[in-house]
Amino acid sequence: MSPADATHTVAQRDWQAAARRSLWRRRLGMWSLVFFLIVVSLPIMLPYFWMLTISVSARTGGADTIVLWKACAVLVPAVIGVVLTRTMMPPGGQRNLAGLAVIAIAAITGVVLIGPDLHANNYRFLWNPNIVEEIRGSSGAGGDQFPWVWTAFTNSLIFAVANTVVVLTVSTLAGYYISRFAFAGRATFLQSLLVLHAFPAMTLIIPIFLIMHWAGLLDTISGVILVVVTLELPFSIFIMKGFFDAVPWDIEMSAMTDGASRRQAFVQVILPQVKVGMLAVGVFSFLKGWEEYVFVRTLLFEKSNWMMSLYLFWVSDDLMGVDYGIVAAVGVFYVLPSLLLYVTCQKYLVQMTIGGIKG
Amino acid sequence: MARVELKQVTKAWGDVVAVEPTDLVIENGEFVAVLGPSGCGKSTTLFMLAGIYAPTSGAILFDGHEMNAVEPKDRNIGIVFQSYALYPHMNVRDNIAFPLKFQKLPKSEAIARAEDVARLVHVDELLDRKPSQLSGGQQQRVALARALVKQPNLLLLDEPLSNLDATLRLTMRTEIKALQKRTGITTILVTHDQLEATTMADRIICMSRGRIEQIGTPEDFYSRPASLFVAKFIGSPPLNLVEGTGREGRFQTGGASLRLGSDQGAPPEGGIVAGLRPEMLTFGPEGIAGEIVAIEPMGRETLYILDTDLGGLRVLESRPDRTHTVGQKVHVSFDAAETVLFDAATETRIAGAWVAV
Ligand SMILES: Nc1ncnc2c1ncn2[C@@H]1O[C@H](COP(=O)(O)OP(=O)(O)OP(=O)(O)O)[C@@H](O)[C@H]1O
Ligand SMILES: [Mg+2]
Repeated sequence: MSPADATHTVAQRDWQAAARRSLWRRRLGMWSLVFFLIVVSLPIMLPYFWMLTISVSARTGGADTIVLWKACAVLVPAVIGVVLTRTMMPPGGQRNLAGLAVIAIAAITGVVLIGPDLHANNYRFLWNPNIVEEIRGSSGAGGDQFPWVWTAFTNSLIFAVANTVVVLTVSTLAGYYISRFAFAGRATFLQSLLVLHAFPAMTLIIPIFLIMHWAGLLDTISGVILVVVTLELPFSIFIMKGFFDAVPWDIEMSAMTDGASRRQAFVQVILPQVKVGMLAVGVFSFLKGWEEYVFVRTLLFEKSNWMMSLYLFWVSDDLMGVDYGIVAAVGVFYVLPSLLLYVTCQKYLVQMTIGGIKG
Repeated sequence: MARVELKQVTKAWGDVVAVEPTDLVIENGEFVAVLGPSGCGKSTTLFMLAGIYAPTSGAILFDGHEMNAVEPKDRNIGIVFQSYALYPHMNVRDNIAFPLKFQKLPKSEAIARAEDVARLVHVDELLDRKPSQLSGGQQQRVALARALVKQPNLLLLDEPLSNLDATLRLTMRTEIKALQKRTGITTILVTHDQLEATTMADRIICMSRGRIEQIGTPEDFYSRPASLFVAKFIGSPPLNLVEGTGREGRFQTGGASLRLGSDQGAPPEGGIVAGLRPEMLTFGPEGIAGEIVAIEPMGRETLYILDTDLGGLRVLESRPDRTHTVGQKVHVSFDAAETVLFDAATETRIAGAWVAV
């Protein structure tokens, strides 16, 4: 064996060891990451889990924790099982099969263990217009002041959609203008946008109340929309400006020499580049509208003007301690649309980085 | 097709003057190259023609009609941007067909025309791809197709070939030139590749710091560069420049003295820069004495770097093999008629003047 061959094999052996080490390091990293994520997300997940199980199982009115524990007993081993199959087994059909088997076993045990405890009775507020009265009796404090949940739902929906439409339209147009055109006071304007956002809206609540009173907008949904939109616009404009900044100006100029008017260039060439930004601003302003509580609580009184947040507040205020099941069910009902929206848009939202989209 | 005219056109951003007062006429159907170093205002001039920038002062005329107030969309101009400026959300087909959208053509005809043009620039196999899935050269060709598809009156090309490989660049040069001759579209090509300018264009405009230094045919630029700047910029390898003073028919430099004369009256006096083209210097038994310090083979040609009485000189021989070796003592001579002389103070050419050994 020549010396050259010897060094060759030595080098090769080192590489194999290095490859093994790197593999183990990667696996170890993966496990600790998964462990860390589970530990961190537990405190976030648990309340939701509690809410869901209670809402579909509580019978007596009290919080039946037994179903919760049974559900945990099924879920925790199932999650551990799935994680183990994903980290320990090589990728491929076998691993997927093992994962499916774990899930199937968990599902069957789940049905057997908790199946009989499940019922939809706590959701009867969806078809019963006056649930609080039914539970507490008409003598109950505030019993007959409750609107039907669908009234609150419709109000919330109108509120959230209007919020989205106004914020999206104004911030898109304003963001484009600020990004593209020089005008006197542009820098100051941008700075004040940020300062406005940093300003806690809560401190404005009394002046806003007074202004709304004088303007005759107190206790109107459009009034609250105006307030929330105003407070939300600075940041949205700033975000949209960032997205427009990332669009090269020459494609716009190119569109205009290609025969497009400025508006056609904007709609056909520029807007498609910022649609992720618009989606983000749209989703966030919808969620903001959907979960708005402070201004809804302060500026609206009439029960026909209630929103979901107010409904949830009064339900829990009136029934907490009396019927946890209903409170949890209202909570689930309230969270569902946000969750749905987020899950559908999540794919696009994760593409977002500050001020633009990745490649 | 359009005859383009610039009358005292300027462009400035605050204190930054990108284009000094410029007068220029480009005839209908002409192919003009704008040549100049980076930042000299080439793109700015192009954008003013396209209507993207409004001139700070002066007038732009197409066929005698003032264009200053006409919007870009109404000028019927095809433009290829330095950065291609393809629309990222559209595939190649839609990109090329985009200008036709505004001409109220039936959709099927627009697509057919787009595909024809795509074939012309060899991107017909890429029609369904997005711009982000194309190489730089492919993007450039798509941009060219998009500029051509609406059969513009004026075609503006801002360095359309800078990203192509050498072979493709050569083919595209020939093809663009042939295309221009066939369609007769008035074309302005911006480039800082002098070879591109001289091979493609009927006329060359050389710019420097916002000013037009010289307008002329490639031949004018080679034999009669208007200024020292143009002489340095055109020609590869560049002109040998020898600084000296003219006095009583002699050209004095540090180490040598040459004969100085003029076809138009008395020989020039004062500070003079003499330009000697590397390819017009020849080795011989007599002439300027020097020594070869380096040799650069350039393929078909060989470049010799000399240290002579006149200072450093480059000599280009049109043969691939070396006729001399490093360290060899040589003499070089040249034809007086081919020398160009510049006034050292004004940096402009002194017409008719020459130097000789
Ligand atoms: N929007 C602008 N604001 C201020 N100055 C500008 C602007 N656009 C261009 N300039 C300046 O004008 C001058 C000419 O720019 P231009 O883009 O025309 O150069 P160019 O000849 O095309 O150069 P290159 O070959 O690098 O593309 C440059 O000095 C540039 O800094
Ligand atoms: Mg340029």
